[in-house]
This record gives sequence, C-alpha cells and structure tokens, in this order.
Amino acid sequence: MALGLETAQAEYKLNLMQGVTKLSHDVYDLHMLILWVCVVIGILVFGAMFYSIYYHRKSKGHQAAQFHENTTVEIIWTIIPTLILVAMAIPATKTLLEMDDVQDSDMSIKVTGWQWKWEYDYLDNGIHFFSSLDEASNKARQIGSGIDPRSVPHYLLNVDHPLVIPTKKKIRFVFTAADVLHSWWVPDFGWKKDANPGFINEAWTYIEKPGTFRGQCTELCGKDHGFMPIVVIAMDQPDYDAWVKKTKEEAQKGPSLENQSHDELVSKGAAIYSKNCSTCHLPDGKGVPGAFPAIGGSAVVKGDINAQANLIINGKGGMPAFGKMLKADELAQVITYTRNALGNTVGDEIQPKAVQEMLPKTSAAAAKPAVVAEKAAPVADMSKDELLALGQTVYTSNCVSCHQAEGQGNPPMFPALKGSAVVTGDINKQIDLMLNGKGMMPGFGHSLKAADFAAVVTFTRNALGNSVNDLVQPSTIQKLQAEMPAANDDDED
Amino acid sequence: MSAAVAEHDDHHDDHEHHDHGPEKGLLRWIITTNHKDIGTLYLFFALAMFFVGGTMAMVIRAELFEPGLQFVQPQFFNSMTTMHALVMVFGAVMPGFVGLANWMVPMMIGAPDMALPRMNNMSFWMLVAGILLLSTTLFMEGGAPAGGWTLYPPLVLQTGKALPFAIFSVHLLGISSIMGAINIIATIFNMRAPGMTLMKMPLFVWTWLITAFLLIAVMPVFAGAVTMLLTDKFFDTSFFDAAGGGDPVLYQHIFWFFGHPEVYIMILPTFGVASTIIPVFARKPLFGYSSMVYATASIAFLSFIVWAHHMFTVGMPIAGELYFMYATMLIAIPTGVKVFNWTATMWKGAMTFETPMLFSIAFVVLFTIGGFTGLMMSIAPSDFQYHDTYFIVAHFHYVLVPSSIFILMAAGYYWLPKWTGHMYNEKIGQLHFWLSTISVNILFFPQHFLGLAGMPRRIPDYAVQFADWNMISSIGGFIFGASQLLFLYIVIDTIKGGTGEKVTNEVWEDAHKHGLEWTLPSPPPYHTFTTPPTVIPTEHV
Repeated sequence: MALGLETAQAEYKLNLMQGVTKLSHDVYDLHMLILWVCVVIGILVFGAMFYSIYYHRKSKGHQAAQFHENTTVEIIWTIIPTLILVAMAIPATKTLLEMDDVQDSDMSIKVTGWQWKWEYDYLDNGIHFFSSLDEASNKARQIGSGIDPRSVPHYLLNVDHPLVIPTKKKIRFVFTAADVLHSWWVPDFGWKKDANPGFINEAWTYIEKPGTFRGQCTELCGKDHGFMPIVVIAMDQPDYDAWVKKTKEEAQKGPSLENQSHDELVSKGAAIYSKNCSTCHLPDGKGVPGAFPAIGGSAVVKGDINAQANLIINGKGGMPAFGKMLKADELAQVITYTRNALGNTVGDEIQPKAVQEMLPKTSAAAAKPAVVAEKAAPVADMSKDELLALGQTVYTSNCVSCHQAEGQGNPPMFPALKGSAVVTGDINKQIDLMLNGKGMMPGFGHSLKAADFAAVVTFTRNALGNSVNDLVQPSTIQKLQAEMPAANDDDED
Repeated sequence: MSAAVAEHDDHHDDHEHHDHGPEKGLLRWIITTNHKDIGTLYLFFALAMFFVGGTMAMVIRAELFEPGLQFVQPQFFNSMTTMHALVMVFGAVMPGFVGLANWMVPMMIGAPDMALPRMNNMSFWMLVAGILLLSTTLFMEGGAPAGGWTLYPPLVLQTGKALPFAIFSVHLLGISSIMGAINIIATIFNMRAPGMTLMKMPLFVWTWLITAFLLIAVMPVFAGAVTMLLTDKFFDTSFFDAAGGGDPVLYQHIFWFFGHPEVYIMILPTFGVASTIIPVFARKPLFGYSSMVYATASIAFLSFIVWAHHMFTVGMPIAGELYFMYATMLIAIPTGVKVFNWTATMWKGAMTFETPMLFSIAFVVLFTIGGFTGLMMSIAPSDFQYHDTYFIVAHFHYVLVPSSIFILMAAGYYWLPKWTGHMYNEKIGQLHFWLSTISVNILFFPQHFLGLAGMPRRIPDYAVQFADWNMISSIGGFIFGASQLLFLYIVIDTIKGGTGEKVTNEVWEDAHKHGLEWTLPSPPPYHTFTTPPTVIPTEHV
C-alpha cells in the first residue's frame, strides 16, 4: 500500500538511525555523545602509543627509561574516566526513565510473538490480526529460488498485514509470546523489547509524522528467526479512523460456513498449507525428523479426523494452536488437504461447519463482534446466578491467560485473585481498577460489554475461592463506562 | 602431597640423567602426567578446535556473502552459529589458555610440575570427551543445538535428539574446567619457589590465579542451569516454563551470572600474557605492576555484579536497569587503567617489533576498540538499539579474536622457541601478523556499520541494504581464515627445526630478567626446577 511512496530498498548506512520519535532522537544523541567520548580518548591513547612506537624504538637508538610506576599519574587516569562516566550516566538515566514511563497512553496494542509471525491485538477497539513475511520475499528466500533478492521490493522487510497506528498519540505496546522468546524492534522508534512467553513487557512510542517503519525480530527464535519482519504504518487520525472502520468491517464478515466439495477443499487447502504449515512440515510434507513430524504417513493425519482437527485447533507441544490464526473454512480446507495429499490418501473430508463447532469461542474465526457497540442501549438487571454463569465464561476468555483457571495467578507477575485484597475489598475500587487498568493489568472498560463486565466482577468476588457475597449490576457499569474518556476508535461505532 | 613432591624432587636430584624421560610412543600422550606434555596436548587440541570452529565461521560467512539463501538451510545455519561459539569458547580459547598455564605456570613460579598431575591428565581427556560428544550432535536426528550458545529456553528445548548429549557435554567441559582451575590454584598457592611471593609473580600467573577462582565460582552455576533445562525437558519440571509457574527469564539471569565471568575467563589470561610480553620487547619494566594486579582483581569482582547488562531489553524493573547500567560503566575504570599501563610501559622504551610484540600491540589497540564499544553498550538506552544486532557481534569479536586469539598467537611465537629449542621463521611470522591484522579488521569493523544500520544478529539472510558490508566482511573472513594456515605451517616448521638457528636460554634480549622460564635451557628438559631456583627475577614488579 505504501510501496509506491518510497524507494523499494533502503540505502545502506554507517551510523545509527536518528529515528522518528523523541525517544529515538534522545538515544541517538546519547550514542553520538558516548561515541565522541570514545573517539577523543582513542585519539589520545593511540596517539601516545603510536608516537611511542615511532620514536621509542631500539632501531632509532632510543635508550629504554626504567621508570615503572607513578602514583600521581595513576590516580589521574583513574579519576578522569570516573568523572566522564558520571557525566555520561546523567543523561542516560534521564532517557531511561522517560522510556520506562508508559503512563497516560492514548491506546494500547498487544504484540504477541509466534514462531514466526507477529500477532497484534488492539486492546481498545478489538482489531486483531497476524502479520507475517510477505509472499514475494518468502518465495525469493528459498534456496535455489532463482529470484534475485534485489528485485524484490523491501526484501525480508515486508509483511502481509502491517501494523497501523495513528500519529500524535502515545501508544503503549504490551509484549508477550506464544512459544519461545522473541524481540520486537523497529529501529526508528529507538528501542527493542523482548516478548517472553507467560510474561508481559511494556514500551511506548509517539510518532509525529505519517510514514512506514520497518524492523525485525531480534531474539533468536528458531529457524525462521530471520524471516519475521515488522512493518508499522503511521497514519494521521482521519486516515487511521478509516482504516479501523474498514478493518472491522472485514473482520465481521467471518468465515463462510457453506459446505464445499471435496476437490474444492483439497485445492484451496494447498495454498493454506503452503502459507501456514510448510515452514515446519516442509512443502513436500516430509517434515524435519526429530523436530517437525512428517505429514505423509503420519498416524495423526491418517487417524480420526476429529482428533486431527482438535490438535490443529488447540496445538500441542511445539505445534501452535491454529484455531486462533485460521478461520473455520480455512481449517477445514487445510485438514482435508493434508489427508488427501502429501502422500496421504485417506479419502475423507471435514466441512467448515464442523470445524466451527470445535473452535474455542474467542478465536479469530468467531469474528470478534464490534465491542461496546450498544453503549447507549439500556441493560437489564440480572440475578446473581446469571451473573456468575456469564462471569465464568467472560473470565475464561479474558482473564485466565494471566490469572489462571483457578484464579491462582502466576506470581510475581500476575497476582492471585483468590484471597486478593482488591477482590475481597471495596467493590468500587475493584471496578475502577478493572475499568482503567493498572501497571500490567489492561483496562477492560472499553473492551467488555457492561453485562460481561458486571458478571466477571461478580464472578471473581464469589468464586475462585472468594465469597464476598456482593454483586454489581450491568446498569452500574454502563454508567461508569459512559463517564470514561472515549477510546480513540470506538467513538466511530 | 607436598611430601610426595619433595620425595619426587629428591629422587630426581639423585638420578638426573636416568630413565625419567617420557614414555615411548602414543601411550606417552595418553597417560602423561607431565605438565609440559599436557600443556602441549591442550595447545594442539585448542589449535585443532580453532580450525574446526573456524570452518564453521567460514560456512556462516559464505552464506552471508550475498543476500538470499545459497548454501545452507536456516536451521543448519543456526546450528553453525551455535556450534561455532561453543567450539571456539570451550574448545579453542579456554583450552588454549589452560595449555599455556600448564606449560608456563610451573616454569614461571619455579615449581617442578602442577600440584595434581593425575587430575591434570584427567581434566584434559574429559575436555576431549566433552568436545567430541558435542561434535557428534551435528550428526544426530534434528541436528546440532541451534538455539545459540546461550542455550536459552524455551527455544533450546525444541532441539531434537541432541539436547541431552549437548547438556552432558557441557557437564563434562565444566568438570574439566573446574579440575583445571583447582589444579592451578593448588599449584600457585603451594608450589612457588622460595622468595616468589605473590606480589613477585609474573602477571600471567596472577591473572590465571584470578581466572581459576572465576571458573570455580561460575562453572557449577552453568551446570545447574543446563541441568534445569534437562529436567524441564525430560522430567516435567517447570523451572523455565511460565505455564507451570516458572520463568524463562530466570534462565537468562542464571546463564549470565555464569556468562559474564566466563567472558572474563577468556580475557584475563590475555591481559596476563600481554603484560608479560610487552615489557620484554619494550626493554622496560611493566608500568604499574601492583595496579595491574588490583585492576585484574577489580574486573573479576565486577564481573559478578553486572550480568544483566546482557538483558537490558528483557523487561527488568527500572531500578534493575539503572543499577546494571551504573555497575557496568564502572568496568571501564580498571580496564582503562590496564590500557594506560600498557601504553606507559611502551613509553620511552627501546622497542623492537618481533612477531609476539606485533600481536601484543595489535591486541592493545583492537581490544581498546572492543572496550569502547563495550562502554557504548553499557549505556542502557543506547543498548536498546545495539542489543542483538551486528554491533554486538562486532564488539565481542573484537574482544575475542584480535584480543584473546591474537594473544594466544603472540604467546605461541613468544614461547615456541623456548618449548622447541628452535627459532620460528620471523618473515612468515610477520606475514601472518599483517595478513591477520588487516583481514580481521576487514572482517569485523564493517559489522559495526551493519548493526547500527539495523541488521539483527543470528540471521541467515538479510535485507539488500546490508549486502555491501556483508560481502566485504565475508572477504575479510576468508582472508583471515586462510591466513591462519600460515600459523599452522609455522608451528609445524618450528617443531621440525625452524630456521635452524640454535636459540639461547633466554631467546629474547634480557628476557631472563622478566621470567624464570628464560633461565632454563631451550628446550627445557622433561623435568625442570626439581630443585627450586634461588634467584627470583624482579624486573617486572
């Protein structure tokens, strides 16, 4: 989309890029400062050394002096570097503190690293997608592809779905990973941050002008570590709003659950296999013994189709859960394909509808409804049992990944809810914390419906080992939500 | 033990010219307990591994010669970077310095042998077993470890059949290193000649003493970390698995608590050799002997409290970031003292530039460049940009290749005439020096540019704006690799007779003032200092 606006390959550079944010400029200034300090010390030390090498040589008849210590000199060359270091530490500390301050952000994006793609969740408006290496680079990068990388625009630095963000907004990123360690780096922003499975990291950026910024994963994450680039497109607010609208409309379409013919399933499945499966299981399905099992002749693929579908949807060990990444029709196609190609001839098929029923409710295939759409519509009161039942579902899809199924949490990062001072304390304080978030806890005020919100609050206070025995009604939450400052994107809905 | 040694000594005094030469044939090298033989074994093993690890580096540089994948699949490329590092660290640099310690520490302190000669033999052969076991993983199902030499989980747990073998080989290498370290400490503390007080020891002995303590302190930590990997993989523990209440970042803390002292294990003996060679060729005592000792000790101490600067981007609390930034910056002070002292040692000397001196001077200059980039990386906000890019690759190769490796070369040229009794070919030595020094800079200097421009490390393929400098770097790499064949030639040629020139006991002008080894014949007899020397050289203190 932005390809036409710039040259298709970046120029080579010698020095650090200044980048496009205040933070990246501060980092650049620090870099230049310490570089010049090193250059000056280098000139002095190497100057003295080479002077000595030239003049104090035996072949010139120089007689060796015999001095071997001088306390004054040694104190001087201990004190001066110390002072230089203190002088360096001051601006470095200042920049570090500023980078650490993610408070008062305008919006949050959750970034999840996968082998070997990035998942982006816009926490404020529910937009969600995966971003992986673009098709052209992927073709060219295979051994013996015969394609000159120089002919591919932004070779290895281009993706299928770039991350789109607005300009002039403080954007908070939260990072985690689904499998192994990754690290998210866009040099123009001035930092990189590791994405660790089971843990959350934070960082922020604020971009003044629209533009396209490219980066890569920088923590070794397996064989295709070099092939999971990052592309961020910053747009002015009106363009961004239009993008949000368009993206949401597309997401709402959802999968086609129409029955498809056997041949159609197989032929469409081939493309899905090549995009999603062939990196590990290889294009011919032979796999990599010891690491990635072969598809051809596999007991799973040749066995019960529902068991295979279940494994693909929910993942197992190194196999990621594709229920989150692919839609029901795509899953049906690729499952049918593997059973009837790559050396397998099982002869059966699975239809999108059957897959849809197996999918967990929060998956991408379930086509996230536009959240908080009916802000203004009045909501009815619910009984405590209704709240608890609904709360259980909401808890399972929104809270368990951090606070765990039994509410035991994952200390020290994720506090236990069982016996938590917040949950067993003043209900209004708990609601406030959940609406607005705090530290790593995201604010749910914009992403949960009033009824869901009330239900999950009630659930946490009366289940998971707690028995406060109070509840909150959706109408109360609705009022509080109405008072919240609007999130960037929801006011369009 | 001391009684046994004393008895041994007496024995030799009585029968100096009897049957106490080495065993004949191959068995000599397998069962030897002689420090010189074991030193030779270590040095040859290190040289062999230098070429094995170097071959892997050539595979890496060949693949990176041009954008696009030409020769190897990404998984194998990752195995190459991982194995290159493990082989170079545990197979080449560390054994190289242990070999020097075996040969030189007893001769420098006037001792007849190492304190624990049988353990000495065992630690060498465990090293061989460990490295061989590691090498076999290349041929296993799923390939050799490919998660980087740091073996970070969860990625390393995706290794195929090789994982338990690699972990066991790390255990063997660790036990070997610990036994070697115990031996060096026992030797230095118990077997110094009368009058060889601690503050009269050559700096090489001092730096090895401190290094040995580092080894004993951190090797068990590494062994513990990899054992936890093993139980996580095979025995359902969850030390590093968040889903079971563990923490993958915990591994990084444990690893770097080992890893940072580990990099100083490779550089402190380097400092020691440089401090030994430079004064001899400057014909001047080492400047600031005691400050060198204290600086080495300070660096060793600091190495234990700075580990998380390898993890600035991992997501630490701000207080942790600040602390590790300040602590890391402090390292520049004792390191600076060392560089200033070497410069002051050269100042107003009467220098000559034989190959050992050339390599030592190149070390001081190029190590300082590596130190500068290290200082830059200590600035945490800047490190957010540098981290895991080729800038880091350039940094640590500057402090390993033209530092540790160059000093191992310098030590080779410096002591080969002593060890063999023959002079090496100075012309070819200087050719080797110039080819190495020029090519090592062509190889690694452009990697600074690549990293700053945004090229991540450990990638088999790259965006085309990185193409030019990668090609230049690869060309430098090929020249550097080929140049090292000259060193192999020189070593063999010198053993066979070299220039044919008969070398004196002290080999280098007035060297006897700088170290006890130069008071011995060249080559030294199989057993030396069976009676302790009476005159202790003090030129260096």
